[in-house]
Amino acid sequence: MHTIRATEEPVNRKTGSHPAIRFEQGPIPRGPLHDLNAQLPDILKDVVSRSFAEVKPDSHEWLLSEAYYQERTRIRREAKGGLAALPTAPRRMRDRALWGKVQSGLRRNSAEADRGELTRAVIKHYAHEIGGHFNPSIYWVATRLVPYGFSWLLNAASVRRFLPWGMTESLASRLRIVGQIPHLQKLARKGTILLVPTHQSNVDSLLIGYIIYLMGLPPFAYGAGLNLFSNPLLGFFMSNLGAYTVDRQKGNPIYKAALKNYSTRILEQGIHSIFFPGGGRSRDGALEYKPKLGLLGTGLQAQIHNLQAGKQKPNVYVVPMVTSYHFVLEAKSLVEQYLEQLGQHRYGGPTPSEESLPLARTAKFFWNLFGSQTGITARIGRPLDIFGNFVDEEGRSIGPNGTSIDPQRWLTTGGELRTDLQRDQEYTHRLGRKLVERYYRENTVLSSHLVAFSFFSALRRKYPELDLFRFLRLTRPQRSLRTDAFMEEAARLHRAVLDLAKQGRLHLSEELMTENTEAWVKDGISHLGLLHDASIVKIQDGAVWTEDMNLLYYYRNRLSGYGISFLSSTDRPRAPGELDEKGFLA
Amino acid sequence: MKRDFWRKSTIAVIGGGSWGTVLANLAAENCPEVRVWLRDEESVRAVNATRSHPKYLPDIKLNARIRALHDFERVFDGGVHAVIWALPAKACRERAREAARFFTGSEVLLHATKGVESESLKRISVVLEEEIPCPRVGVISGPNLAHEIATGKPAATVVASRFREVVEAGQEILSTSKFRVYGGTDVIGVEWAGTLKNVIAIASGWLDGLGLGENARAMLIARGISEMVRLGTAFGGQQSSFLGLAGVGDVIATCTSPLSRNYRVGLGLAQGLSLDAILEELGSTAEGIQTARTVWVFSRERRLHVPIFERVHRVLIGELSVAQALDELMSEPVSQDISVS
Repeated sequence: MHTIRATEEPVNRKTGSHPAIRFEQGPIPRGPLHDLNAQLPDILKDVVSRSFAEVKPDSHEWLLSEAYYQERTRIRREAKGGLAALPTAPRRMRDRALWGKVQSGLRRNSAEADRGELTRAVIKHYAHEIGGHFNPSIYWVATRLVPYGFSWLLNAASVRRFLPWGMTESLASRLRIVGQIPHLQKLARKGTILLVPTHQSNVDSLLIGYIIYLMGLPPFAYGAGLNLFSNPLLGFFMSNLGAYTVDRQKGNPIYKAALKNYSTRILEQGIHSIFFPGGGRSRDGALEYKPKLGLLGTGLQAQIHNLQAGKQKPNVYVVPMVTSYHFVLEAKSLVEQYLEQLGQHRYGGPTPSEESLPLARTAKFFWNLFGSQTGITARIGRPLDIFGNFVDEEGRSIGPNGTSIDPQRWLTTGGELRTDLQRDQEYTHRLGRKLVERYYRENTVLSSHLVAFSFFSALRRKYPELDLFRFLRLTRPQRSLRTDAFMEEAARLHRAVLDLAKQGRLHLSEELMTENTEAWVKDGISHLGLLHDASIVKIQDGAVWTEDMNLLYYYRNRLSGYGISFLSSTDRPRAPGELDEKGFLA
Repeated sequence: MKRDFWRKSTIAVIGGGSWGTVLANLAAENCPEVRVWLRDEESVRAVNATRSHPKYLPDIKLNARIRALHDFERVFDGGVHAVIWALPAKACRERAREAARFFTGSEVLLHATKGVESESLKRISVVLEEEIPCPRVGVISGPNLAHEIATGKPAATVVASRFREVVEAGQEILSTSKFRVYGGTDVIGVEWAGTLKNVIAIASGWLDGLGLGENARAMLIARGISEMVRLGTAFGGQQSSFLGLAGVGDVIATCTSPLSRNYRVGLGLAQGLSLDAILEELGSTAEGIQTARTVWVFSRERRLHVPIFERVHRVLIGELSVAQALDELMSEPVSQDISVS
């Protein structure tokens, strides 16, 4: 079985002419997920009883009617077929049966139809929808098949004759896994890992699954959006590799309780898990700045339960991970959604459509990904404990001034180890703040990001008075610059990010570790948003221009939040995710 | 939480200035054991021998449950449940660093320091969190002239923390029949209110030094609070905190009491004394001097309109006389009375 070298260096730096050979086929290591099938009935039973216990006895009626109302709206919307997030047919049938029952139950008085029983039925339905589809035999096949499949893709896609664009880069330049790999590998044996990657593209989950495999870790459980399950290929990968379903359409409290309890329960089982704390893919292209704390908090609850039960390995470790891409296939629809929501009537662009993921498109996506995408960088960040403190290689939490932290102490309230809703919310807030800080620091800036950022910045200098939406509507001749003006800005911003890198506030890809501005700019332009129909930054005849302002903004936003954005007035510093006075991400 | 948990707990008070000593006395009314950390051994002996604080509060009797100690090891021996931190701002980081390894992490840490770290402008709760592995931190602040509370006169304060249990601890430990403890969540606002009011107190001393009367003081307080809100919200605090005990309450107490060190600095300046001479007479520093300078830098960067803070700073650095400063303030253009946000 392969292992990854225990260094800070990229995992797969040196490769031969046939890179995929580097990745020897190893069996997927056994982990607690393998035994999920045997434990699933127990887990689901716990989820139901815990969620039920959280419902206050006098609030059944209210919760049920709220859930019913929302679900009826959702089912109607789905029936119209407007949404991509269509559940599969049997799931739809079960849905209808349940809500029919709830409806008729709510019509009768509570003596005839026990509200508690109805609530329990709803919770049970949700629990099974979330986690109840694990299939051990498919899992067995998939865990053996998937690594081969990936390697095949990597192999085949790198053969020149299949690639009209003539890319022959070695795999090494396509996927760089860097950062705290040995640390993560060690911690995976000392506790339960909660991997919290940034999220840009639907391809993230598969890529991350593959990276986990490359690192020699057992498969992770992961909450995948229901829309991914509607795609046969993705659905196959997901549901059988430990994914459980998360349906973001369902916002009612009963569903949320069931989801949180499922996540808590599998973490307690020692099953490593993945959450995307951003909630969904980054719409604006920026790094995550507003983490969703609901699921994040389940790590803390799991650790408290583990400590209370006196488990051997009670700790949950939170490991940030930042993936950097030169292009994101969904970028156009993502940024259009963002702009429409932000600008409403001021956004004059096309109505964004939620892109569906039919089989052919997905296949093409992967083909493109492995064939032409270069320089995907995935950085494993410094592991944290459940409060956001760093942990050492032994899994101990590190406090200030060389102190070590005993998590049990932080969880002691009124002299006893216990959960405390308000305290735990505050701890999870703390973790969220820390995560955002870590994302910005663990980010690897690619040459294309800096090209987009520099061009955008230079263009804004030309029109400092325009607000975001007027700026994005610049006409073609208006959105071009003389090459030297652009190059000057690029060199200036390059110095700025070199400085930030020196301070440890971000990382730079190798292409940017050069004094030669032209070299990295050329590299950046050749990779930036490679597969979009429009050129995002183009240099020709002494001028630089863009064919798509929205996409330019999307890719440029990756470097927002570092305090290097152009501001037309500098009245105060901006936190990540804050807009400046003209509506641009600062 | 078990009932009466805090009423059976051991309390450490770090710092035995007048306010720290009074807080220890309040805590001792509710808790069986209160350990007070003092910097020098001599004071420890004096306090334990005389059962009073000869330097700051010679006429106040200390509760028998209080024991003074001078090393952290013994203060934290066997574990304490709550730590009340009452050191001057400039000593906080260094002491926190020394004390860090004695914390277990389950303590509740309440600080009663009015001031911020100079240069960095970091609030004391931030300094403590950076140095001590103890997340549950809160602040005590309000119109609390130590001597009045020590002699049993009625008063109230605010305990603010993002953790509800910290607020509860503060209320359980410090409440007495003469001392009311209100709760809050806006740590930033409460800390900045307690810090900023010291600057207003200096200006209040001017008014009395020149005998300008009560209308002038009321004007100063009301306009001063407007400026405090402007600054405090820029720092991330909530406006409402400045309208409570920690804001308006503390400003009124500090601006009207001849006991306040900051007020006495202002008074001395108006009487034509030099700052050095005043400080020598006080025998200690006044937090408002440093605060005026750090805030001045900040308000310039952010272009905040804070004319009173600006004039206090310029008088302190000798750029203006008190009379000139008041003249300038009276000729500021007038605008809306309430235009804080």
